[in-house]
Amino acid sequence: MGIGAIVVVGAELETTAGSAPQASTQQFASEPLECIDILGRSMLERTVERFVRSGTDNVAVFVSQEASHAVQPFSVRFENVEIHLVSDVRTAVTQKLYEYGSGGLDHAFVGSAALYTETDLLDLFYFHREARQAATRAYDFQLPLNLWVVDCEKAQDATLDKLLRGAPNSGVSYIIRDYVSRTTHPRDVRRFVSDVLRGRCGARPSGAEAKPGIWIDQGVEIHRRARIVAPAYIGRGSKVMEDTLITRCSSMEASCSVEYGTVIEDSSVLAQTQVGIWLDVRHAVGSGNKLFNLERNVILEISDPSIMRSTRSARQETRKILEDSREPQYVDACLRTQGKEKTTPAPESWQFGANPIRG
Amino acid sequence: MDELRPLLEEHRPRIVLDCSQVRHMDSAGIEILLDCMSETMKRDGDLKLARVSPASAAIMELMRVDRLFEVFDSAEEATKSFQAASLPEVPQSPPWYSTGFGLDDLKTVN
Repeated sequence: MGIGAIVVVGAELETTAGSAPQASTQQFASEPLECIDILGRSMLERTVERFVRSGTDNVAVFVSQEASHAVQPFSVRFENVEIHLVSDVRTAVTQKLYEYGSGGLDHAFVGSAALYTETDLLDLFYFHREARQAATRAYDFQLPLNLWVVDCEKAQDATLDKLLRGAPNSGVSYIIRDYVSRTTHPRDVRRFVSDVLRGRCGARPSGAEAKPGIWIDQGVEIHRRARIVAPAYIGRGSKVMEDTLITRCSSMEASCSVEYGTVIEDSSVLAQTQVGIWLDVRHAVGSGNKLFNLERNVILEISDPSIMRSTRSARQETRKILEDSREPQYVDACLRTQGKEKTTPAPESWQFGANPIRG
Repeated sequence: MDELRPLLEEHRPRIVLDCSQVRHMDSAGIEILLDCMSETMKRDGDLKLARVSPASAAIMELMRVDRLFEVFDSAEEATKSFQAASLPEVPQSPPWYSTGFGLDDLKTVN
């Protein structure tokens, strides 16, 4: 008897889950939030790792066409993990369940990459097996989660939609009391960062804990006059310039830069973002030239590159060097060809003093 | 800015900017606000903002100018705040050290 796992990226497994990305999320980020690095690793990678560590024989990741550009190589090489770019995720899941069934895997976890949980997956599996039902859905304090255990043989008799939607009605459900994070809104990113940095869950940032509560990844440059107040995370290849302040569970992902005199407070700066001088980034998530102010629930699209901008094209070389230093990664061939990064031309006039606001 | 110029050149200008029609504010807009504030301050006046949208408030906060302006929910409230500030002063007896005392007198008192 074996068990497999199916992880879905950038698509909904069932239509009534109510967890579809909100319009504001789509406006803020062009890629699904489960694919972006949070504290050095994507939720997708963390989810896959949970399945691998729980002893599944195979993990199949199905990436929708819309999310193909967003999937990053994993920082750790996992055995028996395959990533597929598919046009119809639901059909692919159905086929995979059939494959698992015919290949000797009796059961499979089916879940969304946007759902990270630290529950004991084996306990969920045993619960499902004892319940003797086609599918068992996990719940979090009576709210449905996009995580099921499916009996591969019984799955052949019903459509995927009927199987997944019918799970709570046809039998018992599994209640998760451990840590759960749904990453469907930038607010969830902040909550997860805060939870990890405060030690409220088992996940840890990548890199090393340079001082208690201050996590620093590889290739980081921190000016000696910069002030980082724990807990905080500075991602790979980031630069923290002089007189900056990083505080209140703030995080900077890979290849970011925070310029002179800027304060990052209770905020997350997503990968490859440059934040200009003498700014106050508070209660926000910043990505490229967009800033989601969580307190006011507004998205700012900043046209002035001296305030905030993406450093994607300028940082590609740095990133390449950094990625060379990582463990070898597994990426499906189809992703390698289609997952090309967007290139935004870097403005030339990026320099100190370019900020028109007088300090 | 040109429309505001005549108001700014008055003695003690008291200006309320109703920002309800502001759809987008960028660094240039912030700079105009700062110029207006600077001009009013030079003439012992004040500039207050009303009905600032969340997006404008967020960009003002980002650029650290939110603390320079008093922001009100409505133009009426902003206007009233000027009236409250300009109540007639209650005549007070002059402080003992303000008139008629020189440095020697202060030394004597101490």
